[in-house]
Amino acid sequence: MTNDVLILCAAGMLVSAYLMVGQKALFTAIRLYSAQSLFLGIVAITIAISESRHDLFVTAALTVSLKGILIPWFLMRVIDRIGIHREIEPFLNVPASLLICVGLTVVGYRVSTGFPEGARGVSHHLIGTALSMLLIGLFLMVTRKKAITQILALLTVENAVFLVAVGVTSGMPLVVELGISFDVILAVLILGILVHRIVDRFESMDVSRLAKLKG
Amino acid sequence: MAWRNDVTLMIHDALAATIMALLQTAGLLAAAPLLRAAIKKMKARLQNRQGPPLRQGYYDLAKLLRKEPIRSETASWVYVAGPRVYFAAAVAATTLVPVLFAAAPLEAAGGILLLVGTLALGRFALATAALDTGSPFGGMGASRDMTIAALAEPALMLGLFTSALAAGSLNLGALVRSVLQRGPSFHPSDLLAFAGLFIIVIAETGRIPVDNPATHLELTMIHEAMVLEYAGPDLALVEWTSALKELLYLTLLVDLFIPLGIATSAAPGAILVSLLAWAGKVFMLAIAVTLAESTNAKLRLFRVPELVSVSLGLAFLALAIRFL
Repeated sequence: MTNDVLILCAAGMLVSAYLMVGQKALFTAIRLYSAQSLFLGIVAITIAISESRHDLFVTAALTVSLKGILIPWFLMRVIDRIGIHREIEPFLNVPASLLICVGLTVVGYRVSTGFPEGARGVSHHLIGTALSMLLIGLFLMVTRKKAITQILALLTVENAVFLVAVGVTSGMPLVVELGISFDVILAVLILGILVHRIVDRFESMDVSRLAKLKG
Repeated sequence: MAWRNDVTLMIHDALAATIMALLQTAGLLAAAPLLRAAIKKMKARLQNRQGPPLRQGYYDLAKLLRKEPIRSETASWVYVAGPRVYFAAAVAATTLVPVLFAAAPLEAAGGILLLVGTLALGRFALATAALDTGSPFGGMGASRDMTIAALAEPALMLGLFTSALAAGSLNLGALVRSVLQRGPSFHPSDLLAFAGLFIIVIAETGRIPVDNPATHLELTMIHEAMVLEYAGPDLALVEWTSALKELLYLTLLVDLFIPLGIATSAAPGAILVSLLAWAGKVFMLAIAVTLAESTNAKLRLFRVPELVSVSLGLAFLALAIRFL
């Protein structure tokens, strides 16, 4: 039962990362990120209950409230304020990105078998999905032009790392976890302001235009 | 005398299978308009409207069936045959899918490949019929439907193959039985395949991110454009078949991923439980379809292939992860 919930949630996170690649509307992408964080919260709660590690409840609460609700809300407000709603043209079109992401997932899954814990069972799937999400996040960061999508990609990578930390290792100390959570919030806030500045300056969120700043 | 026993057994089996197929098809045909009406009703409620009553689907069909068929002068037999082949193909497809029992009525006839092939035959018939009258809308709708189908069909096959791979059989009845035997144990590819197939179901049934079933007025319509020329009983057949296909796809999802509660014996109690479980699960999926339809805007036509390619990717991934 526990294993099933863990596997389902990890797969849900992978699906949401994948849908993010196939998605151009920024609002939907943010909602997908929110769903992904909720899945991560469920993973934390499940492990907290099944292994009676009560500090994980704090992790779950932080994940759900910060990444599931607060950050998406903030990002949606940023989008509302600057009035840009879609990714116009990524460097790669959607079908090509999807193909590459399929390849990345296969790589992630294959690599996960190299870990001593990752050879079989639940941890195989957890490490596999987490590595795949990590690679997909990196890929998104490289191929998308909009600053908001890049922030979401960064957050996806962070979610992936958290999935491994919570699901496979015995977890991080609470202080570290709190530190990471506030780091993430701070990063999103600063990036949000940065997006504002970019839009002010260039009247677009297109990061590739930053190249014009060179003399 | 042994051979005679075998023959009578075979005849009995065939008879039982035929009766079961007839009953199941009749049941699905009777329930199909209700599903459409229920989705319409739920959608209306989400928009704070009252919506038509649940019986409306039956009223519409009855009214269309009573009208005289009006056909274009330029129409040939292809136009007449279109809805009939479409209907027959969908009915044939229902006999390959387990609904209440953990066995499809005619599962000896074939499995996944036959199912997909039969549905494709129906689609081909309708598309050629749409081209037949030479009306621009028909041709446009047909070409659009085929464009999407060309992507949706492989995704459907890959999604079904993912489940078949776990079961070791292409037969849908055997597939359901193997899921029942394994018990509820999940593999990540289950969810990936489910997500992929759900998108396919939305695309194939012409629901909102892909097509809008509620309007004839959009230049972006797909299915409605194809059947724009039909009237009377012909139209009734098309509508009924579309509803049946919708129910069939939802039943397929239920069978492959959550077959819990399906009857493994012919005891009345088991059948009742199975009926309630099936209705409940289909209803849950109908709610999911309604929500997807109410919360999304219709995609531009040229972006539909992107959505379908997402599901193709998901299904392919599901299949690939099975091997890793």
